[in-house]
Amino acid sequence: MRGRTVFTLLLLLSAISLFAGVYIGSVSLSPSDVTSSIVYGIERSLPGFSVPHAKPRFFIIVWELRLPRVLMAYLVGLSLASAGVASQALFKNPMADPYLLGISGGAGVGAAVGFEYFPSHVSLLAFAFSLLAVYTVYSISKVNGRIPVDTLLLSGVAFGFMAGAVTSYFVSIGKNSHLTYMWLMGSFSASGWGDVAELSLVLALGLPFFLWKWRELNLLLFGEESVTLGLNVQRFRKEVIFFVTLLTSVPVASAGIIGFVGLISPHIARLLVGPNHRRLTPAAALVGGSLMVAADLVARTVARPTEIPVGIVTAMLGGPFFLYLLRKHKRGELRR
Amino acid sequence: MKLSVNVSFSYGSRRVLRDVAFSAERGELIAVIGPNGAGKSTLLKCISGILKPEGRVELDSLDVLSLSPRERARLIAYVPQSSYPEFNFTVREFVEMGTYFTGGSVDEALAKVGMLERGGESIMKLSGGEYQLVMIARALAQNPRVMLLDEPTSHLDINHALSVMELLSSLKEEKILITVLHDLDLAIRYADRVIILSSGRKVWEGSVGELTPKILEGVYGSRFEFVEGKLGRGLIAALDSKPLNPL
Repeated sequence: MRGRTVFTLLLLLSAISLFAGVYIGSVSLSPSDVTSSIVYGIERSLPGFSVPHAKPRFFIIVWELRLPRVLMAYLVGLSLASAGVASQALFKNPMADPYLLGISGGAGVGAAVGFEYFPSHVSLLAFAFSLLAVYTVYSISKVNGRIPVDTLLLSGVAFGFMAGAVTSYFVSIGKNSHLTYMWLMGSFSASGWGDVAELSLVLALGLPFFLWKWRELNLLLFGEESVTLGLNVQRFRKEVIFFVTLLTSVPVASAGIIGFVGLISPHIARLLVGPNHRRLTPAAALVGGSLMVAADLVARTVARPTEIPVGIVTAMLGGPFFLYLLRKHKRGELRR
Repeated sequence: MKLSVNVSFSYGSRRVLRDVAFSAERGELIAVIGPNGAGKSTLLKCISGILKPEGRVELDSLDVLSLSPRERARLIAYVPQSSYPEFNFTVREFVEMGTYFTGGSVDEALAKVGMLERGGESIMKLSGGEYQLVMIARALAQNPRVMLLDEPTSHLDINHALSVMELLSSLKEEKILITVLHDLDLAIRYADRVIILSSGRKVWEGSVGELTPKILEGVYGSRFEFVEGKLGRGLIAALDSKPLNPL
């Protein structure tokens, strides 16, 4: 498939997933109920616009719950997938994901501490601990101002195990361990417009960086030697670590640790458009967004009226789908 | 145009290069030879800026080591030891990486290595020799004044090795060319000047005509004999009575 066709299809996929996410839910609503709620919400948000008609019956469900949740899922997918692409370039390893820097481990500890002792500050603590984790992993790895990626990778893995042990400790002895446990698997059930605004801002900073720096990301795949092609490797690695941290810690702080999307979206995109970051980063971001909305749709409808953590869905559906693509690719049925 | 090198380098407390000094100009192909662990690859990494050595590397009195990576990439290109490509770039995408910060021409570089028609192919489907040519094309696309090559003929069959050396010979009038070679026979046939490293020191430097079997024996510990034939000068080597690495 040619690049333009792939991107048209991916944009279409994004539109379909967003549309399905808003129009389908655990409460069955007619399309006109959903549409009228969205129109009313938009009208109400416009400054100086007086709303001529009454509030639609399902306005709260659509505008206050479903729409921010779907948008949040899309933005989280976008963030984790683009951070995943950059992480794989940073570590020169296709098995890398954005959590390798210690972000998920740190966030898990922060959330566990939060649920036990500061229940109204769980997100803040998860965010703070994830930053602390990256700083720790980064400091351990730094040798004479350089960041050897092998050391960074090993430090991240080792830190992840230690953080996992601390989190498990809180889960095993805590009074609110079920909340911690659910949080660890990720959910968008508490997402609101504030989260959407916050993550939009972060994406507005981070995503353009990765889209703009596609040449540098291509060169980063060649490690230290890329300095001979004109890349300031050490400085660029620090920039990548900063933006990966930003694009991962903020989504994790508000939606929990949603696995797999940051790993498989870049792979799916690579099978579609190849390894060149000029096309890979935007393609992976679109794949990640659509995948996350679809996973959340399954998470909130498959066992309605209750819902399951979205991390279970991403792993259970994303895993086999990824293996299917991998097998097809190996047999040569999928080409660039 | 003249490249002047005088560098030392240590990995921690281990001294790998000690005051290795030489200069290079256009018009001659320089081969750096020496036993394993002599510091040949380290020397190229120091000149190219991958490692930060003590000492100086100057190109026409311009301090190359103090330049930014982008400025340096316009002057010096480095072809690493060939390894299996891990990413499915096309030949053109791969060579284009040489031009990102230097503004060279991909088409010219591909034409020079005879791969212009194959830009759309995946680098993962190339043979070892073809991939080596593409790596040289990427360096050529930087349009550098100096090209450093680390064992460009390793893992290649004799035909591909010869074509790589012919290509380098054709480039020596326009660029300063320094190549590490393990294959002493190729070094004797194609190099104009030879630098021998051993245990991180330069132990000999001279034109290839001045190189004698005795000098090689002193460095490698094996016995050598030069032979003259219709195809030029070649080398025969035999293991000395005391093998270096008995199995």
